[in-house]
Amino acid sequence: MITRPMIAAVLVATTAVASAAAGPLQVTSSILVEARAAAADGTTRIALVKPSKVTPGDKVIFVVSYRNTGTQPLGNVVLDNPLPRQVAYRSANPGSPAPDVSVDGKTFGSLETLRVRSLDGSTRAASPNDVTSVRWRLASPLAAGSQGQFAFQAVLK
Amino acid sequence: MHAKGVIRTLMAGTAAVVAIGIATGTASAQAQAPGPAGTAAGTTVTNTAQASYSVNGVQQSATSNAVNFVVDRKVNLTVTANQPANTPVSIGQTAAVTTFKVTNNTNGTQDFLLSPTQLPIQNLFAGDNFDVENIKIFVDSNGNGTYDAGVDTATYINELGADQSAIVFIVADIPNNQANVLAGVTLIVQVAAGGDAAAQGLPLAVSVGANNDTVVDVVFADNDSDGLGLDVALNGQGRASLGYEITTRNVALTVAKSQLVLSDPINLAIAPKAIPGAVVQYCLIVNNGTVGTPASNVTLSDVIPANTTYVANSISIGALALGQTCLLTGIVGGVPLADDGTITVPVLNFTGSYNANTKTVNATIPTLLGGTSVAATFRVTIN
Repeated sequence: MITRPMIAAVLVATTAVASAAAGPLQVTSSILVEARAAAADGTTRIALVKPSKVTPGDKVIFVVSYRNTGTQPLGNVVLDNPLPRQVAYRSANPGSPAPDVSVDGKTFGSLETLRVRSLDGSTRAASPNDVTSVRWRLASPLAAGSQGQFAFQAVLK
Repeated sequence: MHAKGVIRTLMAGTAAVVAIGIATGTASAQAQAPGPAGTAAGTTVTNTAQASYSVNGVQQSATSNAVNFVVDRKVNLTVTANQPANTPVSIGQTAAVTTFKVTNNTNGTQDFLLSPTQLPIQNLFAGDNFDVENIKIFVDSNGNGTYDAGVDTATYINELGADQSAIVFIVADIPNNQANVLAGVTLIVQVAAGGDAAAQGLPLAVSVGANNDTVVDVVFADNDSDGLGLDVALNGQGRASLGYEITTRNVALTVAKSQLVLSDPINLAIAPKAIPGAVVQYCLIVNNGTVGTPASNVTLSDVIPANTTYVANSISIGALALGQTCLLTGIVGGVPLADDGTITVPVLNFTGSYNANTKTVNATIPTLLGGTSVAATFRVTIN
């Protein structure tokens, strides 16, 4: 088991509108973009902010947060994020474990293992642009009160 | 900060166990992909995550909140000349056309406002020495790429879709000034608001102020289209330039005709009189008075007078002599031509002929340099 703090604190402070679901697993989705600002030491700091201005080609970061609000551990937790069709998958966000991805919404795996069938029947290796859904699977039960989050990067088509 | 218990991660990429929670409609079929300009401005992108888990062996599922943002307007355009070279014009020509192409690279439908400038662009139009007049700008209405007067009348590009192009014409008059050589014109195109098919939109301005995820902000993404400092990047404008180049000029062409009695049957060549049987030489002198501009394909044509008879093979052509002889003699001065047009003056390529049916003497001078004259003579006898 791996235990470590994940993802920058700024992410924790994001939108947390609870879903209406009454179950013990609370899942929160948020969308962020990178804002670059020059720091005093001459470097460029990248902060994640709400997507106020997003135009085609911009990088968008999707964050999926989860928390066990119940009193019992939850097993076999799988978090599934179908991609909005206007975005193209790029990669896991730095600091987040890589998700399994799917090009058809059914078969999940690492991108290298997936193939895409063309109209003429031939197949080719899948590229990030082919990804339609991403998925994370918790390897061990989620204890009561525990939480975490995953994030991936995409670009607006 | 992480007070609430342990934070767990998963073993990424693990094989196996079939998951539940198949994606809903949002994940399926990547609908038709947007063009190069990208997802249309105003599109709402919505994301929802789903989860499945088990509690005491009972499968359950959860759905996250839906989070969304609105795609903003990424304003970009391309303006190019739509002809391979400058437009060749003549002095005094009216409604001379230059053709441009405007492409909307914005992720939305826009109007485009059009304006001209004749600010001299050094380096690009070296030798620009005049301005065209009566400049008008029209949009190609029927897509034929050619200016149709009275048909192409729109003065701005209305409702041009993303990744679409329009042809724009600058139509102008060339002033009547012989010194004119080249006039550069520049088309300035400003991206304006679309959405009203009946009216011209206002120029777009970059959105400033408070962030708002739910409105379509305007972001300029256009480049510096001329690299010369007149246009700048990220201003919602593009420009392209073309020239009107004088290739055809009017020249001051004059023809003088004179006559000289060469001989008569009584006095022969000594003080001859214009009596029947006398030989008369006519001289046509054509002069190009526009220094520096050659005249092309100058044709002299003269019907012999009534009551005279053309003297066969009497046409000569060449350089002008002083005095009464009209023509210099010899190979340099005057070259006798055959009536059937078979003789051509070497190098200069002067030709001439006589048409017995129309009683017409013709002479052709392929090039008459500015400030020079050429003379042609022929002879008749008085009946």
